[in-house]
Amino acid sequence: MRKVWLASYPKSGNTWFRMLLANLSSPDGKPADINDLPLRGGIASAREPFDDLTLIDSGLLTHDETDALRPRVYEALAGGDDGMDDAPPEGNTAPQVRFAKTHDAYTRTPKGEPLLAGRGGAAAAIVIVRDPRDVAASLANHKAVGIDDAIAFMSDFNAAFCSRPRRQYNQFRQKLLTWSEHVASWLDQTDIPVHCVHYEDMQADTGGALRDALAFAQREASAAQIARAVRLASFAQLQAQEKAKGFREGPRPRPDGRFFRRGEAGAWRDELTAEQVARIESDHAAMMRRLGYPLTATPRLAEAG
Amino acid sequence: MHFYCVSGLAVAADLLLPGLNALAAEPAAPDVTIRSGAVPDALTNPGSTGLTWQIADRSFLLRIPGIARFLLNEGREIIYAAEPGGDPADIPVFVLGTVFGILLHQREQVVLHASAVRVGNKAILFCGPSGSGKSTLAAALSKRGYPLLTDDICAISIEAQGARRGVPLVHPDGRQLKLWAQAIDRLDLGASRRNPVRSRLEKFYVEPDRAHGGALLLGAAYILREARPPLTPGIEAPNAVDAALLLRRNAYRPQLVMRMDQKAGYFHAATTVANAAGVFHLTRRLDFADMPLVIGWLERHWLDIGLLEKAA
Repeated sequence: MRKVWLASYPKSGNTWFRMLLANLSSPDGKPADINDLPLRGGIASAREPFDDLTLIDSGLLTHDETDALRPRVYEALAGGDDGMDDAPPEGNTAPQVRFAKTHDAYTRTPKGEPLLAGRGGAAAAIVIVRDPRDVAASLANHKAVGIDDAIAFMSDFNAAFCSRPRRQYNQFRQKLLTWSEHVASWLDQTDIPVHCVHYEDMQADTGGALRDALAFAQREASAAQIARAVRLASFAQLQAQEKAKGFREGPRPRPDGRFFRRGEAGAWRDELTAEQVARIESDHAAMMRRLGYPLTATPRLAEAG
Repeated sequence: MHFYCVSGLAVAADLLLPGLNALAAEPAAPDVTIRSGAVPDALTNPGSTGLTWQIADRSFLLRIPGIARFLLNEGREIIYAAEPGGDPADIPVFVLGTVFGILLHQREQVVLHASAVRVGNKAILFCGPSGSGKSTLAAALSKRGYPLLTDDICAISIEAQGARRGVPLVHPDGRQLKLWAQAIDRLDLGASRRNPVRSRLEKFYVEPDRAHGGALLLGAAYILREARPPLTPGIEAPNAVDAALLLRRNAYRPQLVMRMDQKAGYFHAATTVANAAGVFHLTRRLDFADMPLVIGWLERHWLDIGLLEKAA
């Protein structure tokens, strides 16, 4: 079994990519149910596999103590041990490649180990990136905050999901860093090979982007399978399923909110003010240039301090 | 020394274990002894090894890195030692949780990951993994007047003989609840708040208004689920086969069931419980504001299944 991370900053197309994978093989030709994708072990920050494998109640550990043990858990999961005694939920045949989602930035534990266990945790990573101006609008919707708050979150080095100390979350703290640092942490780490997918390329040529990513991951798929996945996991399909039945991974702060919202590239042009665009471009100019996202504003905010 | 009754066992411990039912007198022969002592880094010739633990013959070594190591022998003895830099005050909460759970496995006792309260004269279980809301629900019910039986770990036995032969019994501990600061605030339990479970966590022991000490028949088990699409809120019964599987999946640390050769015992217990008591899904939003609503569903359900008597 070969494990591959699907790594991205939140709201960058990770779930869409997982839906495409789920639709590669569809026994009855129907779209995979958006509420039936494996959750347990499906995301690196899930709490249950940790508790099952370490026997320790992670609810009695600090975030840092948990992080110190997480590399051991990813090594065990990559080796096929998930701490349960029943048959694996994914069917009778072990998949040749297993994908697991993560929003964690590629960080190191206090002892200097890669949190995600480097080569021991996965063989490779598919890193999905998206224009931060589109991420900001989508993140604001997901967190049920204003766009200005989303922009501030994206430039906060201490930004994290599930990190407040007064309560317990279903998931572990996920350090995100700033948007630029998140992307850099994945692209610049040298532990495992990465393949960078632009959300905008998934939009423009879904089949091509999927084919290249699968080839990198060494996951075999025929042209017919890829064509079917593109058809069954089209954004319109996903939206229709969410509208009909809801999406269990949808935003919690707003039960009526949509997860599959617009799914467009460049929607920021009518969702962000000029000032908001300028702030994002000023905060993330270097990484935007590196990823080929053209800047439109003059970086006057930075100069104004 | 301190003396407690835990899951029906007489325990002698050289450390204070908050919230357990104390025994009035020193037992002549305690079932379990808990003491500080030398704990090795590793066992010789372990037959089974995990990320934080080893099993060799009838010994079990658990290491919680940076906090403590625990050596469990033959289901009768727990020896603990703080790790270098670890705070000894952190040890009791782990003894009450994982360590006692493992000890019960050593004694071939069936243990579920569940909290429990008394309703009428029966035990009602709430099963689910860490973070699923077991303690919060038990706390809210205890505030409503239902005595607490146990928090987090729930020992079950199937009577082998006598008038109660084949009947599942729950063995309570009178444990204190462990709740996060947010839950204490939202459930208005500040007056019952005791010490933090660990100095570094905003999680506290909470004294239940009432606790119950003796073994009780198991009345019903609810598997907790969050209401997220496509699951809809409410109480429903799975079929009997699924019910038994659900109970096995809510064993305390399913890996131990396998590694300690206890699958047969769990199959038997799960089937017995599924047949003798109701097993239900309780699906609700994880929102404190919904707690009165959820308690209303439960109380109506207890009337329906005969656990509570209808007012005349």
